[in-house]
Amino acid sequence: MNEYDEKWEEQINALLDGELSASGADLLKAEATDDRDLAKAIIEAYQLQKAMDEIRVERAPDSLRKRLRAIPRQQRPTPMFRFLQPRWVTALAVIPLVLVSVNLMKPDTPSADEVTKARQEMAIAFAYLDRAGVITGREIESKVGQTMADAVTGSVNKAIQSQNLLSKEKKV
Amino acid sequence: MKRTVMKKFITGLFCTLLALPAIAQEDELKDLAGYVDFGDLSATYGEPKITINLGGTMLNFVGMMTESEEPETAELISKLKGIRVQIYSTEDNADIAWNQFDEVKGNLKSTGWEPIVQINEKDEKVLVYMKMEGDNMEGMTVMVVDEEEAVFVNIIGQLNPTELGRVMESFDVDVELGMD
Repeated sequence: MNEYDEKWEEQINALLDGELSASGADLLKAEATDDRDLAKAIIEAYQLQKAMDEIRVERAPDSLRKRLRAIPRQQRPTPMFRFLQPRWVTALAVIPLVLVSVNLMKPDTPSADEVTKARQEMAIAFAYLDRAGVITGREIESKVGQTMADAVTGSVNKAIQSQNLLSKEKKV
Repeated sequence: MKRTVMKKFITGLFCTLLALPAIAQEDELKDLAGYVDFGDLSATYGEPKITINLGGTMLNFVGMMTESEEPETAELISKLKGIRVQIYSTEDNADIAWNQFDEVKGNLKSTGWEPIVQINEKDEKVLVYMKMEGDNMEGMTVMVVDEEEAVFVNIIGQLNPTELGRVMESFDVDVELGMD
């Protein structure tokens, strides 16, 4: 295609698209009167456009449409923290709300399991107290002998016990 | 990797929420005269291997549950307002725990606690202090620090050691203690 042809082709396309000015259209028509090839090209272009307009859009099969729709999702980069996606954030936010609600609804009375656990914890605490007493007795015994150890631990116990007795007497 | 991060996040969230009752019981005890602040050694030794915070309400329920079968134990429990225990593994690095021991000891002295027993050995320190308010015992504190463990026990309320020895037999709980 030479420069001459290209020039007229642009003019013809513009004419078909309705973008050619009135003076340009008149000039093209005048030229086509004298130029048989140009006239033929204009007619063919009109026929081609008409044929294109008559072609209707064919609907793609559903399976193909689904696959096409899936492509953008597959191409999307996987987020670094998936749990920060809105649905996860909502789910995580619900957990403390549920726990707080359950806690608020729970009566003040602890369950039997909780009381049993508390009793075990108390036993552990007392066992450590008891063991501290054993260590104390052992240390005193190693330093000053059994008699003194008994005397000291005994007097400590008596001192504490006497405070309790005094307190009881006052209550009475 | 991502699942691990998420699991840790959810586990942390649950642990925090589950720890709330224990924190609440600790707060309940703070205003009592027999309460002792042992500080926090978790920055050095990690979380305590045993933490116990029993408030008066829970002890009342334990006492009620015990009353019919073990009246002596129930009597002992009825005088208690709270029990707190913190035990850390010192793992041959007890320096920080010993410093904490001395700091708490200083605080006890300055707040009217009376020393009952003190052992200052090279590798072991034991301390038993008691707080009296007039004629009433308000609390007892036992601290034992050695190369293996740092044990902090705070009994709030009245406790008779001779009664304690008797009721220990009634607790059918197998307790393995590290301090020896």
